[in-house]
Amino acid sequence: MGEATCKVYPGKMQPRSWGKALLLTLPIALWSLLMAMHGLTQPQRAQVIASGMTAAFMIVLFFLMMKTASTYRWRRWFFVALGVLFPIGFIHNVMVLRGSMGIPIEEMIAGRTPFCYLPIPLLILPAALTKTVVFPGSILPGGGMAGGGMAMMAGLWLAITLVVGKGWCSYSCFFGGIEEGMAALPKKAQWKKLDPRYRLVPWAVLLAMVLLSLALFEPAYCMWLCPFKAVSEYVAARNTVGLVQNGIFVVLFAALVIVLPVLTKKRTQCTFLCPFGAFQSIFNKTSVFDIKIDRAVCSPCVLCQKSCPTMSLSDESIKKGETLLSCMKCGACVDACPKGAAVWHIKGTEVSVKPERARLMFLYAAWAMATMFGGSIITGGLKTLLDFVI
Amino acid sequence: MKWPTAILGYTAAGMTVLVAALVPFLLMGVFAKGITRLGLHVDEMYSGGPLVRTVQAEGYTIGIHKAVYPHFWQTEKPFVQLDWKPVAALPEHICDVVDVKGAVDADGHGQQELRVSFDVPKDPKAPLHVNVEALDPRFQAMRNVGKPKFSELIARVDETIIVRVPLVEQR
Repeated sequence: MGEATCKVYPGKMQPRSWGKALLLTLPIALWSLLMAMHGLTQPQRAQVIASGMTAAFMIVLFFLMMKTASTYRWRRWFFVALGVLFPIGFIHNVMVLRGSMGIPIEEMIAGRTPFCYLPIPLLILPAALTKTVVFPGSILPGGGMAGGGMAMMAGLWLAITLVVGKGWCSYSCFFGGIEEGMAALPKKAQWKKLDPRYRLVPWAVLLAMVLLSLALFEPAYCMWLCPFKAVSEYVAARNTVGLVQNGIFVVLFAALVIVLPVLTKKRTQCTFLCPFGAFQSIFNKTSVFDIKIDRAVCSPCVLCQKSCPTMSLSDESIKKGETLLSCMKCGACVDACPKGAAVWHIKGTEVSVKPERARLMFLYAAWAMATMFGGSIITGGLKTLLDFVI
Repeated sequence: MKWPTAILGYTAAGMTVLVAALVPFLLMGVFAKGITRLGLHVDEMYSGGPLVRTVQAEGYTIGIHKAVYPHFWQTEKPFVQLDWKPVAALPEHICDVVDVKGAVDADGHGQQELRVSFDVPKDPKAPLHVNVEALDPRFQAMRNVGKPKFSELIARVDETIIVRVPLVEQR
């Protein structure tokens, strides 16, 4: 009986020794300390502790990824921490600066609206046609809460996207962690049958929002549909329209980020609404890393399909040995596959030839980016919490 | 293994890791500079039009901006932005007749003037209201207006009080 449950399949990567795992973690450990250096040399105690805790957190998680040869469950700790700590740090900052989560019109005129990456696809057409950025922020550093400006955020997004493609949604998005955390709460999904056609909705939302943003010359998704306005900031309601907009944000957040992930164990906002996610999918074509299903090993148990948080595997795609374009490289399917048929892959190489090498190369790139971008956000949230305690 | 494609794949993957390592030091700045060199500007509906003239008043200045017109189906009206600064030098009550020549393409007829009046409260967070009498028929009058729209408002932005007066006609 023991033999049956502990059967080892040749393709599945086995846990590493402590020594090997430590050795593989060393580059990321050095990187994390380098990224934390600025915070560690600050005079504020809370900042120093927060920076140290973040660096330790990122190093330990990477070590566990190396030791256990499992990606998803350790990455999830980082991602949920990012999702929870971002609003804590952000809301605290806006409350200190303005006393409200509503963006006053004066701040928009001054170009001080913090810019996140979600409107990027909506700004492309107006910018291409009229050289106008339809967002009330500043292009150069100096505006926005972080002082980074839109160019900095766009540059950062482009760099990370070139590296990880849609992996952005698993290693950099500071919103997705909330729903991933909610999806992790129940042991089993209550709603198991989800119509796969819903996967097309984000593309429809993307198309509609891009056209609306051009027509109305405003970031339409931010104005009308973004659920994460409920945990960041929104246009201060000055009239009935504003109240309706804020009502939509709260309802969408409650439904897609809180309730549905608990019922389905999926990232429902990412799967069924997010136009940025759909846009980001395109960059899976340019990214060199992907996930493949080794058809020679796969006996279609569909555990990979069930484990995917964004429904990025279909019967057809498994038959083809591929994930769908929406795959965000979280590693859930690879970890779930008992036979090691779902594997990390570098384009151009043969499937299942040194998949762990592909995983390592991807993880070094993705975790370096996660430590740099997400790590700074985690530090900000931790510092906010520590400021209350210390 | 298909060697040529595999070599290409591993080379690209290696470069990807390198890019990831360089981003915080080099590439982020490069990307940011590249984006700024595209010559983009923030929509003037938010930022106001370019400054065309500055009028010197008693201890303060009035900036007159070029008219801003909505794009496509933008729901705002066209407007001209005027700004009074510095706030510290403004009297308790402003009542200025402002020559808005240059803000709107002139047709050579009529007065190009607006009479703008508002109180300047000491508390920077106190609500502002403005009255605008349009001596130039191309502008809309405003009665006790706060900040209902981007194209029709009075707002304090740092050390400046901004008044946006809507135009009657489209361009």
